[in-house]
Amino acid sequence: MLNDLILRIADLTAYLFPFECMEPEFMRRAMLGLLLIAPLAALSGVQVVNSRMSFFSDAIGHSAFAGVAVGLIFSLPVDFTMPALALVIGLLIMYLRRGSRLSTDTVIGIIFSAVVAFGLWIVNRNREASRGVNMFLYGDVLTIGDNEIALLFVLLAAFLVFQFFGWNRMLHIAVNEQIAGVHRIPVALYQYLFAGLLSLVVILCVRAVGVLLVTAILIVPAATARNLARNSRQLFFLSLVFSYISCAGGLLISAQQWMNAPSGAAIVLLASLMFAVSFVAARFRTK
Amino acid sequence: MNATVEQSSPDAVRFEHVGLVLGENRILDDVCARIPLGKCTAIVGPNGAGKTTLTLAVLGQVKCTGRIVFPSLEGAARRPRFGFVPQRLVFDRDIPMTVMDYLLSGLQRMPLFLGHSKRHEARILQYLEEVECVRLADHAFGALSGGEIQRVLLAQALLQEPDILILDEPTSGVDFKGGQICCELLRRVREKRGFTQIMISHDLATVTAHADHVICLNHKVFGEGEPRRALTHHVLSETFGLHLGLPDLHGIPQDVRECPEDCPLRAEHLHLHDHCHVDAPVVHGCSCGHDHGHNHAHDHHEEAGHAE
Repeated sequence: MLNDLILRIADLTAYLFPFECMEPEFMRRAMLGLLLIAPLAALSGVQVVNSRMSFFSDAIGHSAFAGVAVGLIFSLPVDFTMPALALVIGLLIMYLRRGSRLSTDTVIGIIFSAVVAFGLWIVNRNREASRGVNMFLYGDVLTIGDNEIALLFVLLAAFLVFQFFGWNRMLHIAVNEQIAGVHRIPVALYQYLFAGLLSLVVILCVRAVGVLLVTAILIVPAATARNLARNSRQLFFLSLVFSYISCAGGLLISAQQWMNAPSGAAIVLLASLMFAVSFVAARFRTK
Repeated sequence: MNATVEQSSPDAVRFEHVGLVLGENRILDDVCARIPLGKCTAIVGPNGAGKTTLTLAVLGQVKCTGRIVFPSLEGAARRPRFGFVPQRLVFDRDIPMTVMDYLLSGLQRMPLFLGHSKRHEARILQYLEEVECVRLADHAFGALSGGEIQRVLLAQALLQEPDILILDEPTSGVDFKGGQICCELLRRVREKRGFTQIMISHDLATVTAHADHVICLNHKVFGEGEPRRALTHHVLSETFGLHLGLPDLHGIPQDVRECPEDCPLRAEHLHLHDHCHVDAPVVHGCSCGHDHGHNHAHDHHEEAGHAE
């Protein structure tokens, strides 16, 4: 049933983008996945940039290796162990970051490398799995499954609820945690909720664009929007616009014969191109 | 007015044997002091004396031994509401937001991307008016100067309708004249709204001119009371641990005292140091060659502090 429902929704994307390359079912499914990923990446990207957490999201992305490893050890499905481990590591980093006097970069750096080393060790012992590692390094949105799309729907709903209540508060906290705390904003609650949601967003994006590029699809549209927006509202909508353009545009471009590019790379290249243009435009505007 | 502060006014905050040890360092050592209700209390002391920590303890942001009580709210069964203005706001100036966006982000429930609430907007404009920067409402927050940010933060703190307003070095980021204006502004708003003000300060001239009560802190409390009485040479040298190169810091209180008790301009004299020319010998005693103007005590203290 779920399968059927997703298929129907995916078919709608063909009306949205009436191109020849949208004929195959896997393209429609990939497009649906990316249209769900775009707002998740854009909005969490805004807060990642505001709170300077791009290294955090990088570390979560790399926890994919350990997620695979844990799945192998306990013979659990990777679809479950990857998000679960990402969540645990995300909350752990946030806990250490809040509690200790160690520099955040150091904390993340240590966890980051420990997680990658552990993953490589376990995966290396298993031939089957080491072939799969490529998939996580580069990602492949074309093979996205029904379960993942269903999970994206749920995550997007939860994430939009969080943004509805948290957008203002996250902005306030990003400017100064101490003022926010004194002025009765539950800083810890928002930070943990955001760390948890961000971990899930990142790990699902890894599936689409790979560990190497996951941070880029979060922060590049947000950074582009920051170049042009003058207030918080514009930041919100512009980051969504840039994220949608790069996700949908990137997939369509990657499907062209002449391009012959993996979708993740095409998405990030398109996003970076928009960033460059916005950067120049912002320079001209201030002059 | 000031003479009666000591005995009659009730307390907003009372520190009862407050202590804090971080690692090897005893940051606060058996601190006992009071902060009178509705007045301006200054906490003075050298760098690293635990001044900021003490205010964070009031805010409930650090855990201490001993007790911090709020006698004026005893019956109310609630914690006091605080307003807080940090020393220097270090933040990402590239975040696209207007001053209005930032102030709304702490108040309004509806997310900013859906628009501004007219009710909150009107309230914010009223407070911006009060700190004399209503024209900044639609400016980019990141493009403001240090003094302007300080005012916006003050408006934000006042928007909380605080029982207690805490300012960490409100005059440190601004020049002397700016500091004077800032203190005057605070006094006006305080008299209108009736909150208790706690400010950390390095600047003894400002403290003498603007505070009703002073606490001299260097891990321990070395003295407290009305500035003119509490800031004795003995207390100051104990607090700051300085003996060499320190001019007679008692200079300002003394010449204010030369103004008779019934002088109609006494309040102004306290604020504006009209009698500073009497201090000439103090300035003469110094060979650093700077123009000391009104804040001689401050300058000397700062220089002595660097030499430490």
